[in-house]
Amino acid sequence: MRKATKLIIFLFLISVLPLYSQQKLTISGQIKDAQTGEDLIGAVLSVKELPLKSIASNAYGFYSMTLPSGAYEITAQYTGYKPVVEKVILDKSLRINFKLSEQSKNLEEVVVYGRRKDENVTKTVMGFQRLNTKEIKNIPVLFGEKDLLKTIQLLPGIQAVGEGRSGFNVRGGAADQNLILLDEATVYNASHLMGFFSVFNSDAIKDISIFKGNEPSEYGGRLSSVLDIKMNDGNDKKFGVSGGIGLISSRVEIEGPIIKDRGSFIISARRTYADMFLALSKDTSLNQARLYFYDLNAKANYRIDEKNRIYLSGYFGKDVLGFGNTFGINWGNATTTLRWNHLFSNRLFSNTSLIFSNYDYKININSGVKMNIISRIQDYSLKQDFQYFGGANSTLKFGFNEVYHRIIPGAITAISNVSLKSLTNKYAMEHALYISHMYNLSDRLSVEYGVRLSLFNLLGPGTFNTYDSSGQVVDAVKFSSGQSVKSYFNPEPRLTLNYVLNQQNSLKAAYSRNVQNLHLLSNSTSGNPTDLWIPSSNNVKAETSDQVSTGFYHNFNENKYEFSAEVYYKNLQNQIDYKNGAELNFNDNVESQILTGIGRAYGLEMFLKKKYGRFNGWISYTLSRTERKFDAINQGNYFPARQDRTHDISVVGMYELSRRWSLSATWVYYTGNAVTFPSGKYNIDGKTMFYYKDRNANRMPSYHRLDLGATWLRKKTARFESSWTFSLYNAYGHDNPYMINFQDSKTDPSRTEAVQTTLFKFIPSFTYNFKF
Amino acid sequence: MRKIVFIPITLILLFCLVTACKKVIHIDLNTASPKIVIEGNIYDRAGPFAVKIFKSVNFDASNVYPPVSGAIVKISDTSGYSDVLTEKLPGLYVTSFIMGIPGETYTLTVNAEGQTYTASSTMPEPVDIGKVYFQNSFFGNTIYPGVNFVDPPNINNYYRLLYSVNNAPNSEINVTDDRLSEGKTITYLIRPADTDVKLKAGDNVTVWLESIDQGVYEYFRTAGREGGQSASPANPTSNISNGALGYFNACSLRARSAIVP
Repeated sequence: MRKATKLIIFLFLISVLPLYSQQKLTISGQIKDAQTGEDLIGAVLSVKELPLKSIASNAYGFYSMTLPSGAYEITAQYTGYKPVVEKVILDKSLRINFKLSEQSKNLEEVVVYGRRKDENVTKTVMGFQRLNTKEIKNIPVLFGEKDLLKTIQLLPGIQAVGEGRSGFNVRGGAADQNLILLDEATVYNASHLMGFFSVFNSDAIKDISIFKGNEPSEYGGRLSSVLDIKMNDGNDKKFGVSGGIGLISSRVEIEGPIIKDRGSFIISARRTYADMFLALSKDTSLNQARLYFYDLNAKANYRIDEKNRIYLSGYFGKDVLGFGNTFGINWGNATTTLRWNHLFSNRLFSNTSLIFSNYDYKININSGVKMNIISRIQDYSLKQDFQYFGGANSTLKFGFNEVYHRIIPGAITAISNVSLKSLTNKYAMEHALYISHMYNLSDRLSVEYGVRLSLFNLLGPGTFNTYDSSGQVVDAVKFSSGQSVKSYFNPEPRLTLNYVLNQQNSLKAAYSRNVQNLHLLSNSTSGNPTDLWIPSSNNVKAETSDQVSTGFYHNFNENKYEFSAEVYYKNLQNQIDYKNGAELNFNDNVESQILTGIGRAYGLEMFLKKKYGRFNGWISYTLSRTERKFDAINQGNYFPARQDRTHDISVVGMYELSRRWSLSATWVYYTGNAVTFPSGKYNIDGKTMFYYKDRNANRMPSYHRLDLGATWLRKKTARFESSWTFSLYNAYGHDNPYMINFQDSKTDPSRTEAVQTTLFKFIPSFTYNFKF
Repeated sequence: MRKIVFIPITLILLFCLVTACKKVIHIDLNTASPKIVIEGNIYDRAGPFAVKIFKSVNFDASNVYPPVSGAIVKISDTSGYSDVLTEKLPGLYVTSFIMGIPGETYTLTVNAEGQTYTASSTMPEPVDIGKVYFQNSFFGNTIYPGVNFVDPPNINNYYRLLYSVNNAPNSEINVTDDRLSEGKTITYLIRPADTDVKLKAGDNVTVWLESIDQGVYEYFRTAGREGGQSASPANPTSNISNGALGYFNACSLRARSAIVP
C-alpha cells in the first residue's frame, strides 16, 4: 500500500507541477439555461483551435479552462440545447457565462449536439450512465407516474429487484449496496408503497448519474453503486407553476426568482389519493383505512457575488398506512443540505456542505395492547470538496467527509400491557479523506486515479457483545459515551484508464475498491419499511468489494449511435446472510442471527443507443452471474445469490409521430430470480410441511413485459402549455409471477399445488400535465 | 411482536392483491430422497402418549406418507423410568406407563433403519388461560379468536397455541414467548393465514395453550417462518438429532372454550 501511495503522490506531482511553471490564462464561468437560469451539469466546452481539448461543467454548472494566450473560438454544448459559440481574445484571464437555449421542438431531423458529442468514447469513466429528466419523460411507467429509479433499471447492469418490490441491484450487489444521494444527502429508503413508486418526484429532479462500482474517490460508503441525484434549482427569471393530475396522484410545482438573475427557489409537492376514494366507501372496514404517501422537495439558491453562492435544499416524504385509531404506521425520509460554493481563484472551486439525513418509521398500536415504536437512522455530515482545474489536461479533486450516524433501532413510548424495552441505540462516526486526479497522459491515453481513505468508528455508550458461530455471547464489554468500540480503516484505491483508438473507438479499463460499513438487515423477498440498518461492529465486519472491468466503446453514424460493451469481475468480502429462521425484528442480539461469507459477480453488459432524431431509444443486454458462499449454507459451496440473473434485456423506443403526438414503448425480459422451492413434503400435526434441500436451487419463471405510452401535446403557447400522457402497462398481459406459494390443493385435499400470484396486467393510466 | 410488525406488510399485500390474480401452475421441482419424520408429544398427565414416525415424499406425490415400521422407540425421564413404545398401527408408537410431570426432562430415542435419533424436552409448569375472546379484523370483517394469560415472572416462558372450531382442529402454527411481556398478561390474537375458514356467531371455539420448552419453541417458530415472503425458506430447527425432521415436545396443556357472540 505504501508503494501505491508514493506512486500516486509522484504521479500527482509530475502532472500538477508543470502547470505552475507555465504562464497560461484561464477562462472560467457558469453554463446555464438561458430561459430558466438552471445550471447545466456536464455541459461541454470545446475549443476549435485545440480540437482535443475540451472540458465539462461541474455539478454546479461551473467550468474553468486554462489555455495559452491567443484567439479562440469556444463552443458550449448540451443535449437538447442549441450550441453557443463565443470568439474570445485571451490576453488576460476571463470570466464568461454561457447561456444556452433549449432546442425548439422541430420535426426536421436536426443534429443536436450532445454533451461532449463523443463522451461515450472520450470520457475517462466506466460503468457510468447519466440521464436527465427531459430524456426520459416519455417512457411509459406503471400508473403513469414517471420515475427515474424505474427508468435506470432499463440500463445494462442495473436490475429491478422485481415488480412491486423496492430497490434495485447493480452488478450483482444487494439492494442495500447502492448509495442513493439526493443533493448529497443519503436517502436510506428510496421507495414508496413497498416499491411501486420511488421517492423521487421527477418534476423536482434535474439530473441523475449512476456509477456501477467505478465511482471517483469523492464517493464512498457502498459496495455496488452510487446514484447521484441533483434537484432542480428553480427559474431565476420568472415565476411559473406546473403540475399534473393523474389517476393515482397529483403534483404541483412552483418556481421563481428570489432576486432576478441572482437567486431562485423551487417547491414541488406530490400526493397520492387512493385513500380519499376509500373514505367514500360505505364499508366500515375500508372507509377508516388510511393509505397514501406524499413528497415535498424544496430548494433555494442565492448568488452573493461572483465568488460565493449558497444553496439550501430539502426533501421530505412520508408513507402513511393505518386503520382508524387502532393501528398506524408511517415511514419516510427527510434530508436537508446547505451548500456554499466558493471560488478561491478562477481555477480552484470549493464546495462546503452541511448535510442532514433522517429515515424513520413509527408504529402505533391501540388494540388490546397500546404502544408506539419509533425507529430511525440519522446522519449529520460535513463535506468539503475542492476542485482544481489544472488545465485542459488535468483536473484535481480532493477533500474530506465527516459523518456522524445515530441509529435508534426501536424506541418504545406510550406503553401499556407489554413489557417491551427499547433497543440499544447505536452511534458511529465515519471519516474519509480523498484525492482524485484526472490527467491526459497523451492525446490518446488518459487516466483518472485516486484513493479514498475511510475510517469507520463504532462508538459507545452501551454493552457490546461478541458472539460465537452458534450465536452465544462469548464476550460483553461496556463502553462509555463516545468511546471507540471498534474501528475499520480501509484505503480504497480507484483507477480508470482510457485509450482512444480514434474519434470513434476507445478502450477503457478500471479497478476500484469499495467499502461499506452500514448494512441493511432484510430477509424478505419484498423489502420492508421496517428493515433495520446496523453499523459494522465486532461481529459484522466492513464489507469490501474489488472490481476490475474493461470495455470497448464505439460511436458511429456521426455520433448518432453509441455502443458500449463492458465486462466486469467483482470479488466481495464479508457479505451478510441470515441463519435459518433468523429473528431480525426487535432483537437486541440481532448480530447473533447473521452469517458472514464471500461473494463473486461477473458479467457482460452491452448497450446500443440512438441518441438523436425523431426515433431514438436504446437496447441493453446483460449476461451475468452472481454467487455467494457461506459455510453454513449449501455445505459451504458457491450458490446463486437471489439477484443472480443470467439474461436481462431492455428495449426502449421513442418516436415523434407529429408535432403533437409522440409514442413510446419499452420491453423487458429477464431470467427469474434464484429462489428456494420445496424438494419434498411431510405432515406435522395435520399440517403439510415442505422439505427444503439447497438454498436458491430453483428459478422463478422468466419475466417479460411490454409497456406502451403516448403523449399528446394539447396546447402550447408562450404562456400556457398542457398535455395528456397515456400509458398501458403490461400491454400483452403476460402473467408475471409476483410470488409462488406452495399449499394443499383446494380442490383435491390429497395433493399439493404451486400457486402463482400476478400483480399487474393491462394497467392503463392517463395524466393531465400543465404549465404556465 | 413479530405479528405486529408484519401487519403493514400484510395490509399492503392485501391492497395489492385486490388487483392481483392467482393461478395454479406446474413447476418442475427437485426431488429428494425420503427423510424420516418423527413427531412426539407428552402432556402433563397420565398417558398413553404417541410417537409418529413417517417418511417424507416428493412434492408431486399425493399426500400419503409411508410409515416407518419396526422401529425401536423409547422414552425415558430423569427419575429413571424408561418406557419402550409399542407399534399400534404402522408408524404409530404408543407409551404404556410413563407419566407427564412438569419439571421432568424426557428423552426420546428412536432406532429405525439402522440409524439412531434422539431428542429431549423439559416439561414446563402449566399456565392457565384467563379468557378466550373475539375481535374483528381491521379489514374484511373477519372474526379472530384471542386469548389472554398471565406469564409466570422471572423465567423464560414459551407458548404454543392450538384451536378448534366446532371440534374441527386448525393446523396452523402459533407460538409466542415472553421476551416482550415478561411477567405480564399476554394477549394473543390468532390470525389465521387461511382466510377461507371464517368464524361466525354461535361457533364453539376451543383454544389449547401449551407451555413448551425453548427447543420446541424454536422448532415451531422456525416452522412458522416458511412461506412466500421469506427470502430464504429452510427446514425448521428440529430438537431431534441426526437430521430427522419433526419434533419431540414435553409440554403442559390447558384448554378453554367460548362461543362466538
